[in-house]
Order: sequence, then structure tokens, then C-alpha cells
Amino acid sequence: MTVRPAAALVHLEVNEPTPIEAAVGSSVVVRLRASCPAGRARSGMAAKLLSPDGSEASPAFAKHDAAISETGDILLKVPPRIGEHIWRFVLPAHQLARTQYEEAVLDVRVRGRPQASSLAVWDVPSPVIAGAPFKVKIGAKSSADCGLKGRDVEVLRGGEVVARGALGDAPFAGTAALYWTELQLGAPREPGMASWTVRFQAEGLELPHDGASSTFSAAIVPPPDHTLTVKVIEKATAMPVEVALVRLGAYRAETGRAGLAEIRLPKGRYELNVWKAGYEIQPTTLDLDKDASVEIVALLVPEEDPDARWKM
Amino acid sequence: MGKPTGDRASGNRTEESVSRRKFLSQSAAAGVGAVAIGSQQAGAQANGSIRWDYTVDVVVIGAGVAGLPAAITARDNGASVIIVDENYDIGGRGMLSGGRVQVGGGHALQQKLNIQDTPDQIFADWVRHDHEESIFSDRDLIRVFADENVATYDWLIENGVEFIEKPSRSPDAATVDRIFVTKEWHIPSQVIAPRRNRNGSGLVRRMEESARKKGVQIFLKHKMTSIVREKHNSGRVLGITTVNGSNPVNIAARKGVIVCTGGHTGNVNFRRIFDPRLTEEYQQACEPYVHQGADGELAAMDIGASLWSTANQTIGEGAAITKTRHVGCRWGYSSLVYEPDSPMFPQARATGLTVRDWQNMIFVNQNGQRFWDEGDGSHKFFAAAMGYNGDKTKLNGGGPIWAIFDADAVIREKWKPAPPHVDPDGYFYSADTLSELAGKIKNPYQKKPISGEALQQAVNRYNGFVTAGADTDFKKKTPQFKIEKPPFYAAWATPILHDTLTGLRTDVDSRVVDTRGEVIQGLYCAGESQGGFAQHGLTRCIVFGRLAGRHAARVKVADISGQR
Repeated sequence: MTVRPAAALVHLEVNEPTPIEAAVGSSVVVRLRASCPAGRARSGMAAKLLSPDGSEASPAFAKHDAAISETGDILLKVPPRIGEHIWRFVLPAHQLARTQYEEAVLDVRVRGRPQASSLAVWDVPSPVIAGAPFKVKIGAKSSADCGLKGRDVEVLRGGEVVARGALGDAPFAGTAALYWTELQLGAPREPGMASWTVRFQAEGLELPHDGASSTFSAAIVPPPDHTLTVKVIEKATAMPVEVALVRLGAYRAETGRAGLAEIRLPKGRYELNVWKAGYEIQPTTLDLDKDASVEIVALLVPEEDPDARWKM
Repeated sequence: MGKPTGDRASGNRTEESVSRRKFLSQSAAAGVGAVAIGSQQAGAQANGSIRWDYTVDVVVIGAGVAGLPAAITARDNGASVIIVDENYDIGGRGMLSGGRVQVGGGHALQQKLNIQDTPDQIFADWVRHDHEESIFSDRDLIRVFADENVATYDWLIENGVEFIEKPSRSPDAATVDRIFVTKEWHIPSQVIAPRRNRNGSGLVRRMEESARKKGVQIFLKHKMTSIVREKHNSGRVLGITTVNGSNPVNIAARKGVIVCTGGHTGNVNFRRIFDPRLTEEYQQACEPYVHQGADGELAAMDIGASLWSTANQTIGEGAAITKTRHVGCRWGYSSLVYEPDSPMFPQARATGLTVRDWQNMIFVNQNGQRFWDEGDGSHKFFAAAMGYNGDKTKLNGGGPIWAIFDADAVIREKWKPAPPHVDPDGYFYSADTLSELAGKIKNPYQKKPISGEALQQAVNRYNGFVTAGADTDFKKKTPQFKIEKPPFYAAWATPILHDTLTGLRTDVDSRVVDTRGEVIQGLYCAGESQGGFAQHGLTRCIVFGRLAGRHAARVKVADISGQR
């Protein structure tokens, strides 16, 4: 007597919900699971994976327990095209031992979204004399670490492009893939805080990218009239204090080996702040209407013991 | 002085690995007993009887700065003593402390250094109405504390503790130089965080040495699971239940059980009794070596104990909560660093980047927004860090705090932003741009991603303050450095909880008092689990540990029902 194999349904699923969308060029990792009534032999089953690019693969079921068979990690690479992509897992109809399995199909859908790009702007001088040229460094980064050599970045002010340049050949030192350039700009003629927008349009890259924009600002000041010389000395020893930061509002300078800093300023009233870690220095108010020198006394305080308050 | 019953060879720090069979055979020699107990009692008591594996006069829970003096003093007064501790080694947080013992009253070293002090002056200092750390003192406890200071100093010397002869004054209610620092333990491999001035190791190791010489038994890796009382809310305390691994080990105490478990700051649910803001993201100082799980408080409260002077926990002054000093690692408590040769390093995973100057960074909250002046170390900073920041799914606690800085800050601070200094597995990130940095931050306590736009805006605004020379948002003093040069960094900087400043109510003999104001016979408490006194540090633990041990040892031996 011939025994007809019993028909069985196989259910396919992935191990966890897949993201609704993922960046183009990135990978979504899944494991395919096949389940059917307990006790059925599944150790010989073979699935097929049809990818959006038309390629086929045969992921193997590596683990079997009483009710579920599971593959290892499968990388679904999102094609370089924005929109929905479908990966189709197929378990063809087949017979194993005395069980006839019907075909099972599972579609995994992921929407491809653009990769991101982002910007950094640094070495922005401040203050800048009204109307004077100045330079800034601008870097652009692809979230997929794509090479951005030769791509344009633009600087806009008031909606108009005021500078444009191509990114250089190599990433900035210490970064993974921040391609950069240095651009020259002109300061506005009116003093005050001024802002610029940097734009990276990211068109024509191998992977679609969203563009990026960022802003930076600088203090624009009138041309200087006078030179202020600041000497910083330590109170107890009268020794010069070097590498102290001297601030008068937006103006800044650093003392040198003789404890001296020179700052060119327009006439006016300023609050002079000097700062160096480990020193206590009182602010001073200055009325500047000619070249002037000022000596600032810094009180050396014992190096802060970060634990003093908290030591047990 | 008699040897303890249930005796075992002492003096060997590795003796904690004792099999259940060995326990049973030893305890048979000691006299195993079964005692009927109230049916409402929890845990191991629920089956209606306890089979004691050991019987001694005094059981001390916790081998730290309170437990060791309690045990030694009980032993000095003729009691047989077992200390249990859940850790693999002794010391508790004292092992990791700076060893700054605030002890005075005119003791010999103060006299030698011409420091004028009296017990009355200690009392006057610690009942001051004009200082946050003394407003809520229990003055009965302060009186006995003051009167016992000189004797405590003498006792420490007698038990081998050595002090550096350089006094200082603590920034609390004290008006006299009373801080004396103990000498660090001389064997680096027995200092849990070596080479980092963990002078407290010299305090606890010397006391351990003395305790073992005198015959105190120390059972390590024994976690107390309950305190056994005759009835749920009445009668005397009979002993404790513990587990050693998966083995239950029950220890009867003829005279007393002394709770020295060290406080509650690691127990999220318990600490929120006092301050609902202290949600799970706030870390506990001295983790991962010591966990302050409120075990003693909970076990004592299960049998009726009361808390006391709870206002001390939230005075908004002192070291109940601290700024993270070493950013980029999970446990960046200020004076504690686990170097790679520390036995704790595999769990700590990084030393952190020690901040010298808060000008080099901004702090942002879980939304990527600045929230306060980074240079401020006051409790206003902590209030802002824990403030509500608009997350409707997290109304309590402020979420993680991240230090954001750039490549220039790394140079100024002379940091090496890589392992072993930082922990890239959830506590430190770097990226080429700020937007990218925000997207990388993933941490168990960071429930939602930080928006790249929000972080960029926060930094741009701060950079504007640097340019202008004034922080109009939070008044940071002359903000000096822009955050602009790539790469950029985000380092864990969430505040850390330190002092437990409230705990169980006791009388002046350290006897635990219940919620009706009655002494629970046979139950004592000392150390950070004891309430009534907000003094930071070691001395109150030692003083009340001694008082507890002395009183317990002098109690008339209880007749434990069922004991053979």
C-alpha cells in the first residue's frame, strides 16, 4: 500500500521586526525562521532569498529546535535607490521524510532613505574688523563615509552665496572621513554679531545623500584706534604669568613668555577679564582713549583639589 | 576571653569558600538549633522554623567601617562574633575612601599638634542651627558621639590604625581641625584601587587584621537575606539568614545582630523614598566594588524598624550627590579611579578622563540642551541636571548628562580619548561632526536619540557666548573656548550619588528602634544605615559601631528557643 505524505504548512518570519526604512547602502540584519507543527522534520529544508537587485542566495537553516528552524545572520543590503525595496524569502514546496511541505513566501520590505551628510566649521576668527577678509575651515561628512573630494561647499549670507570652494583630497587629521577646505570671506561693514550659513548639497554622489547646512557667527568690530598692553604678574612673586587669556568683550589675546599681551581696540569702555586656571584675577574696567598699558595681578590659588569637598 | 562557638581557623582571607557540608558539620559542633517563628515572617522564615547553621553571641552584617569596629569591640567584651559580608573582600566603601577620619575632642594627636578641642566643642559644632549639615542632627546621638571621640581615637590606635600627622578641617559644620588621614595599606595588591590615595584601605585592613587576630570570624560572600525576630513585629531578634552562593546559611545571635550594611544609595526604589528625582540613571559612588543596596534597612524595616531624621538626606548640602569628575566612564566618582591593574577594572572598564577645567566643555541633557553653568558644583547644578526637561515619558529625574567637547579641549586637558581611559560601550563617543555625534550616543539610560540639530544648536549658541564673552543663558563665568574643531566627543557625565545620610532609628547605644518608639531587642545599627546624623565620612561609623558592639556583648545571653 502506498502511503501519501501528509501536507504541512510552513510559516516564515524574521527574528525581529525590520525597520520601516534604512539608509541606502546600509545593511539590515535578519535571521529567517521557519516553523511548522512540532515533530516535523525540518533539518533538510533550504530557502531562497531573492534580493531587490535580482540576485539569489540560499541561506541555510543553522539551528533547529522543536518547532522552529533559524538561519544565521543575513545581511539585506539596501540598494542605492530611494524608495521601497523588497527581499523575498521562498521555501519551495518539497518533501522531507514523510512530510509534504507547501511553498512558503515571506516578503521583507524596507524603504531606502538617503544617507545623511553633516558639516563642521572651525577656526572662525573673532573678532573680525569690519570689512576685512578672514578665513574659515569647513568640513563635510557623509554618514556612509563616502569620499567627498572635490565636492562643493558654499557659504551664504543673507541668502546669497558669498563663497564657494571644493573639498580637499583627504579627510581632516583625526577624523574618519571629514573632507574639508578653507574659504576666504569678507566681514560685513557694520559692527555687531554676524552669521553665515554653510551649505553642502551632496548631489551626484554614488549613494543618494541629504544635503546639510550649518551656521557660524563672528563678532564684527570697528577698526582699532589704540593698542592696549596687558601685563599679567603673579602677586606673591611678581613673576610674569604666561598663557593667560585676556578678554575685553569680544576681543581676546593670550599672554606670552613675558606675561604680555597686546590688543588693538577702538576707543571705548571695556571690562578686562584675565583668566588662567589656578589663578584668581579680578576684572577691571578700562576707559580707552589712547594707547595704554595695564598691569594685572593674578593671585595664585592652590591647584584645585577636585576631591576636597567629597573626600571621605 | 572565650573562643567563639562555631569557631573556624581565622586569619585567612580566602576562607569564604566553605561548602555547605562543611558548614553543617561545623555548625553541628557549634550546636545547630531549630526555632519556631511567627508565620507572618518573610523569606526563609516563612516555613515556620529556622535551622541554625551557626550560633554565636553577636552577628555583624557588613565588614566595613562600622562592622569591623562593632565586631572587634564585641569580641573585646567577651562575645563570640561572626561578621558576614556579601562582597568577596572586606572594607565596604571604607576600602575606597580617602581615609579622612574626622575625629577630635582633644585626643593625643590633637594635643601633640596644639589643636584645642573638646567633646563639648564637637557637640556644639554638630548641633549648629546655622549649618545645613547639622540642622537635623539627633542631639542625643551627637552628645554620645562627641563624648566617644577621644576613646574612638585611642581605640583606633590600639587596633593598629596609623595616622599621618597632618590635620585639616572638613568643609562642614566643624570649627576645629579634626580630619586626620590614615596611612594607606602597605600591600598594593590588597588595595582595591591602588596608587590613587585610597588611604581608607589602611583603616579597614588594620581593623580586619585586628579582628582576625582577636578571633572574629569573617564570612565573605555571605549575603544577608533576612533578620529573624521571634515574631513579625515583636520579640527579640534571634539571628539572620544568609546565602553563600546558592547555599542558605543561617546564623543565630545569642546577644545581638548589628546592621552595618552601609546605606542605600544604590537602591533606586529606596532612595526615591527621600527624593523622587533619583531615578535609575544616577550612579552610586564606589560601584562596582561596593553596592549600597539598602539590604540592612529593608530587612530591619521588615521586622518593624523605623527610619530616622530623613530630612538629612535632602538637605541640599554636602556629598549626597556629586558631579562626575572623570567623564567618559560609567563610575566617574571624584576621588576614585580604578586603574587597569585594579581587580575592579574589568567591571569598571575605563578610568575616565579627569576634568581639570570645566571651561573645556559644555554639559547637555538627554535632549542635547545645555541646562546650567558647567563650572558650578553646587546643588543648584544638580537640581538643574535632574530638572524636568520636557520628556513626557520621563517626568522624574533628568536623564543622562553628556559632556560635549572638541579636539582642542582634548589637547588643553592632555587627554587620551581612547580605552582604557574611556568606555566606548555606552559611555563615550566621538564623531567628525556634532550632528553625527548626536546620532551615535546610545546608552541604557538614554531612552531616545539626541537630535543632531538640537546638539548643533546648543553648541552654536554656546560658541556665540564665547565670541561675545558672556553666557546670557546660565552666566558661566567668561566662557573661554568654542567647541568647533573636529573630531567631537560626548562623554558620560551624569551625577553620582554618594552619602547615605539617613537610615534606621537607634538609641544612644545603637539599638534599633521601631515605628512605635520601642527598642527592638537584639538589633543594632551603625554606619551609613543608621539615621540621625549627616556627617560625611568615617567617624560616625566607627563610633556607633563600637557602641553597638559594646552594648550587644554586654547583654545577658538570650535563651533562644530550641537551642541545644
